[in-house]
Amino acid sequence: MTRYVLGVSALYHDSAATLVGDGEIIAAAQEERFSRKRHDPSLPRNAINYCLEEAFIENNELGAVAFYDNPWLTFDRALSSVLSVGSRGKEQWLAAAPSLLGAKLRVKQRLHALLQCEVPVLFTQHHLAHAASAYFPSPFADAAVLTMDGVGEWATTSLGMGTTDAEGRTRLELLREVRYPDSLGLLYSAMTQYCGFKVNSGEYKLMGLAPYGTPRYATTIKQNLIELLADGSFRLNTEYFGFLDEHSMTNERFAALFGGPARRAESRITRREMDLAASIQAVLEEAVLGLARSAHATTGAKRLCLAGGVALNCVANGRLLREGPFAEIWIQPAAGDAGGALGAALLCSFERFDARRKLTPGRDAQKGSYLGPAYGSAQVKAFIERHELPSERVEDLTERSRRIAGAIADGKIVGFFAGRMEFGPRALGARSILGDPRSAATQSQMNLKIKFRESFRPFAPAVLREHCADLFELDADSPYMLLVAPVRAELRLPKRDSAFEQGDDDLLSVVREARSTIPAVTHVDYSARIQTVDSVGHPAFRALIEAFFTQTGCPVLVNTSFNVRGEPIVCTPQDAYRCFMRTEIELLVLEDYLLWKDQQPKQTDDESWRDEFELD
Amino acid sequence: MQRQLFEYHPVLGYRFIPGLKARVPHEAGGYLVQVNNQGFRCQRDFALKKSPGTFRVLLFGDSFSAGDGVSNRQRYGDLLETLLPNTEVFNFALPGTGTDQQYLAFKEFAQDVECDVIVAAVLVENIRRNTARYRPFADENGKQVYFPKPFFVRSTSGELELEGVPVAKAPLTEAELGQALKSADQGGRLPVLRKAINRFGPRAKQLAQRLTGYQPVPGYNRADDPDWLLMRSILALWSSACHAPFLVFPIPLYQHVEGTASAEPYRRRFRELERETRISLCDPFEHLDALPASDKRRLRFESDVHPTPFAHEQLARALAPALSQLRQSPSQGSTT
Repeated sequence: MTRYVLGVSALYHDSAATLVGDGEIIAAAQEERFSRKRHDPSLPRNAINYCLEEAFIENNELGAVAFYDNPWLTFDRALSSVLSVGSRGKEQWLAAAPSLLGAKLRVKQRLHALLQCEVPVLFTQHHLAHAASAYFPSPFADAAVLTMDGVGEWATTSLGMGTTDAEGRTRLELLREVRYPDSLGLLYSAMTQYCGFKVNSGEYKLMGLAPYGTPRYATTIKQNLIELLADGSFRLNTEYFGFLDEHSMTNERFAALFGGPARRAESRITRREMDLAASIQAVLEEAVLGLARSAHATTGAKRLCLAGGVALNCVANGRLLREGPFAEIWIQPAAGDAGGALGAALLCSFERFDARRKLTPGRDAQKGSYLGPAYGSAQVKAFIERHELPSERVEDLTERSRRIAGAIADGKIVGFFAGRMEFGPRALGARSILGDPRSAATQSQMNLKIKFRESFRPFAPAVLREHCADLFELDADSPYMLLVAPVRAELRLPKRDSAFEQGDDDLLSVVREARSTIPAVTHVDYSARIQTVDSVGHPAFRALIEAFFTQTGCPVLVNTSFNVRGEPIVCTPQDAYRCFMRTEIELLVLEDYLLWKDQQPKQTDDESWRDEFELD
Repeated sequence: MQRQLFEYHPVLGYRFIPGLKARVPHEAGGYLVQVNNQGFRCQRDFALKKSPGTFRVLLFGDSFSAGDGVSNRQRYGDLLETLLPNTEVFNFALPGTGTDQQYLAFKEFAQDVECDVIVAAVLVENIRRNTARYRPFADENGKQVYFPKPFFVRSTSGELELEGVPVAKAPLTEAELGQALKSADQGGRLPVLRKAINRFGPRAKQLAQRLTGYQPVPGYNRADDPDWLLMRSILALWSSACHAPFLVFPIPLYQHVEGTASAEPYRRRFRELERETRISLCDPFEHLDALPASDKRRLRFESDVHPTPFAHEQLARALAPALSQLRQSPSQGSTT
């Protein structure tokens, strides 16, 4: 009989639930997708419901629930931190105490109340859960494991080793850790906040902004904020940070170091922020490379697995692959706290219930990260009929792909909703907005008219795996959009003397400039955040790119998440239709139904819907 | 947002989405819903021909029989298959429907299905739904809207005329309904008062009902009440369309079982129906009423009034003897 483990991460940010049966990942989803609240931290009742639905099991069939961290250790760290700064930490303590003393310590009771059964609830440790989420789904039998995030209980970074014997028996242990308050995640988040972006969501923007700047503050950062040590570890100078004793990540000393107060959110981005972004990115990459070298020296492993929020920094990941000591790396696509739910469940399944790990050469066990709910053709039909929406059903995949590809080649922006939703922050073709990468206008059009977000943010290419090396300096699998690599030199176009190059801060002049033959996915530094698409993960998405390639000779599509700024990625057909109608997406694909914008009934919504989602 | 469970149907108004597998969150921890390819919450597809030696029951009803609050296998229809050897129950029950829609489900989907008995599980409240033109449901955003439903109009000569078919697709808001709101089922009597009392919790509600001698379904009070005459006519019409024994299984409300309201009026009407027509009756009330008081409260959930797994067990036990008797009777084997 299958032993099921429900994994849960909750009550900090990005709550999620996962279900694992005898070591196999069955389902995983973030609560925000159902609740429609970005980074929803609440107990993931909807995600749990979905996981049990996917396996179609009763609550009492669960062998255990595994929670992703140890609330008592978190409480211990929070209390110790407060005591270390004395009365200055009072306000921060008062803000954190209700969660630490209340909800988090009553997780077991709350889960029992939700499930209405007395299933055993087990607690793991935050970084062990991250490590498990990276190691167990990876395709590697033996691998070093590196986890890096803001903080989990006491640890901020940990180094471990995972092994699997010929019978599939596993062993995962953490060997070393860096402890709070020394944290790469907190350092990056502090700079994110200082540059006017939100902590825990704006880090990605900072990474996207970095190529516009020069790392002229890197030395300042290394001399004052962080000391990178020879053994790969590091120390933060907490005198510059506010997270110990203030509500802000940074303090006045930090501001003084970088020439003035933090940028106000939504105000114009200046050269200073671009240079700060470039600088912190350079320091982060150096730190990650140092950690990797240390991991390699300590474990002797040839392969590396990564997780934790810092592992979502795909620019650093790309450098690690190119310059690091490991032959191969694998990164958990849900590297943030949501992935902790997966790690906790896997850890419990393998180490508590003694599940045997089944390795398939060259293939991971993450199932393309298509682990969320699907809404098949019958559900879409029911939705369309109920709302009497004009649509056309095209059942034949080849014909459907041909028509969608034709629309994209004509410059249309397409909302693509097909199959099981992705687990993790990236849309990988199941809940995606797609466009033509050959058009220089696509990037700003998609940013400003579809996503309603900052114009500088780059888009990712989804490329047929076998053509990846033809276009990019990468010949490796990157199915989860977690590696950045340069566009091949022969495809690049020379930089023009744009207003930006002449010193103007206006990013649009450089954003609109064609930088390669696939300009919409070529960042200002000629880099691209690549998703390779093979023939296994998502057949409908693969068929669409193939059709586009047949029609245009270009094996790439622009792929961005199906949402507007501040909105969680769409989950249901209803979500997708609503987003479609509120943006300038011209064609919506809901499984095998095509819906054209110009045929839809007029929306009665006014602009007030923009207030529905808090800007990220 | 929950998964959409139902799709439009031009005659019934809606049915389950064919092939659906869903889990519905619930105060009891959630339950699993499995829908067959015909759009009904049944473990198996409806085959026209039955296997030799199999006793086949076609079960019709509303959410009490479809199993709101419990997983498929916990429902009394499914439990009957365990209690009675070689029995298969085809569950055509559809939540939120009246007897009128249940009859139409029979006409649309079951008339040609070979069977040994047809069970109309009439939640006694269905008498009110039969008179309604609209029923309230929460839309995907949780807002209350009113969906049109098919309905029968009974002429003075007693004939039934079906109206509202094809059922309009678009739901209406309360404002859009206007005067037609009177023809909408409000989920019970005295909706404003009910809403007010509900704020004080279930105990206050029960106390108020007890003190006022609340009768939740007054349509059964008189044999010539128009609501009863309509129910009776629908059941008679249904019975006449069947080529197998037709058994009515009236399911009481919790007020009847827990003694807040008298069950006698509705029970009397159904006994009269049995006496005066060819319709068979299996009344589970005595079985339920014989339970100790503490067990009676276990028949419904803490807040949700639908039957608990325990209640489904009791309903199965109450119905099983009647089905056994039919199986052994000379008329057994009647088919389409």
